[in-house]
Amino acid sequence: MTHEPYDTQAASYALGALDGEERPEFERHLAGGCAVCGAALRASAETLAAMVRSGPPMVPPPAVKEALLRRIATTTPGRRASARPRPLVWAVGTLAAMIAGAAFTGAFVASRYEGRLGQMAREAAALRERVQRDEAALREQIAVYRSAVDLLRDPQTQIVTLHGLGPSPEATGRVIWHPVNGGYVFVANLPSAPAGKAYELWTIADAAPQPAGVFQVDASGRGTHRIPPLEGGKPVKVFAVTLEPEGGVPAPTGPMVLASK
Amino acid sequence: MATSGAELVRQMAAGDREAFALFYDRYAPVVFPLILRIVRERADASDVLQEVFWEVWRTADAYDPARGSPEAWMVTRARTRAIDRIRSTRRRIETFVAPLDEAIAATPGEPTPDAAERAENRGTIRSALDRLPGAQREVIELAYYVGLTQTEIAERLKQPLGTVKTRIRLALERLRDVVRTSP
Repeated sequence: MTHEPYDTQAASYALGALDGEERPEFERHLAGGCAVCGAALRASAETLAAMVRSGPPMVPPPAVKEALLRRIATTTPGRRASARPRPLVWAVGTLAAMIAGAAFTGAFVASRYEGRLGQMAREAAALRERVQRDEAALREQIAVYRSAVDLLRDPQTQIVTLHGLGPSPEATGRVIWHPVNGGYVFVANLPSAPAGKAYELWTIADAAPQPAGVFQVDASGRGTHRIPPLEGGKPVKVFAVTLEPEGGVPAPTGPMVLASK
Repeated sequence: MATSGAELVRQMAAGDREAFALFYDRYAPVVFPLILRIVRERADASDVLQEVFWEVWRTADAYDPARGSPEAWMVTRARTRAIDRIRSTRRRIETFVAPLDEAIAATPGEPTPDAAERAENRGTIRSALDRLPGAQREVIELAYYVGLTQTEIAERLKQPLGTVKTRIRLALERLRDVVRTSP
């Protein structure tokens, strides 16, 4: 028999396509130490690798590397039993392989759960953060209401009504104002300020309007803003709200949206 | 100067985890498109990729540089594992739905890769394979990427087995010339 049929089998074998009787036949031939076929298979493996490499590379999902690095962090690479295994050694080797196999499966399952657990932990952390944010916002609101109620108990406190003007006639507002402690403005039906803009409150005593802080309204058009007291406890004659750049300005520039009479 | 792939495998065999990370960065982008092309689902491809590199870590000391480049070693492993995966899937499908035909590939229940992924998949087999005559390219695609045996290819193409065998051999020879002359 010439070598020729083996060349053909080696090609199919390299592509994983050799089947039927030919496969064991070729494997016996290979195990017999045929250098020609050994070299042909090695050359084919390099050819196929070059074919694969000739396509565009693609970075796999980062989670794969992360999972692998977690897995290898707790293991050491496998060691092969030394050459010429005796039957007992072979049996021990088989057992070791079975254990390694089980460990592999275990580690694989564990790593999948670790991934899942990691994701759950991240979700839990995100949730906790949100709850904390919500809690902080609620506490702030409660503090506002509490001090507003305290102000209302004080006989010196006045309540001033603000009326919608020009661009937002629907808007309404109330100022709870104490000459010494300052107060709050509560507004409603005010459209959200455009991007880069905010509402600015002004107090007018005897001269030019004094800036009293900027605020935003929520999606339902409501807003609350703390007003600092004026120096010297001067009485305020007029409260007004204008639309201004986000950071606030020292003197009003934009349209007036709310004002007391 | 970059450490050679063979040296990285040797370091991995000695338990060097940094070598593993470098080895992964170098070869994962090469074998991932291959695995994805074979198994088609990104989630499956990620599983297989992880399996392949895990095995590499566990058996790094079995690598013999005299028997081939680390790249060929990786590509062979990746291809084998990916084919194992689709064969086991196929067996599961055959258990419930017989006979298996191409319609299964288009079953609505099976999520289809999105357009970008399909383009990526195609990109993998374009390039070197593209420079082969159609009939030769076809047998390599069916054997290497679809995992069909020579008998199955003969049935699929309605060609005599002998013709398919010859075509496979010629295709592989031609492919070797193509990759040798490519930049």
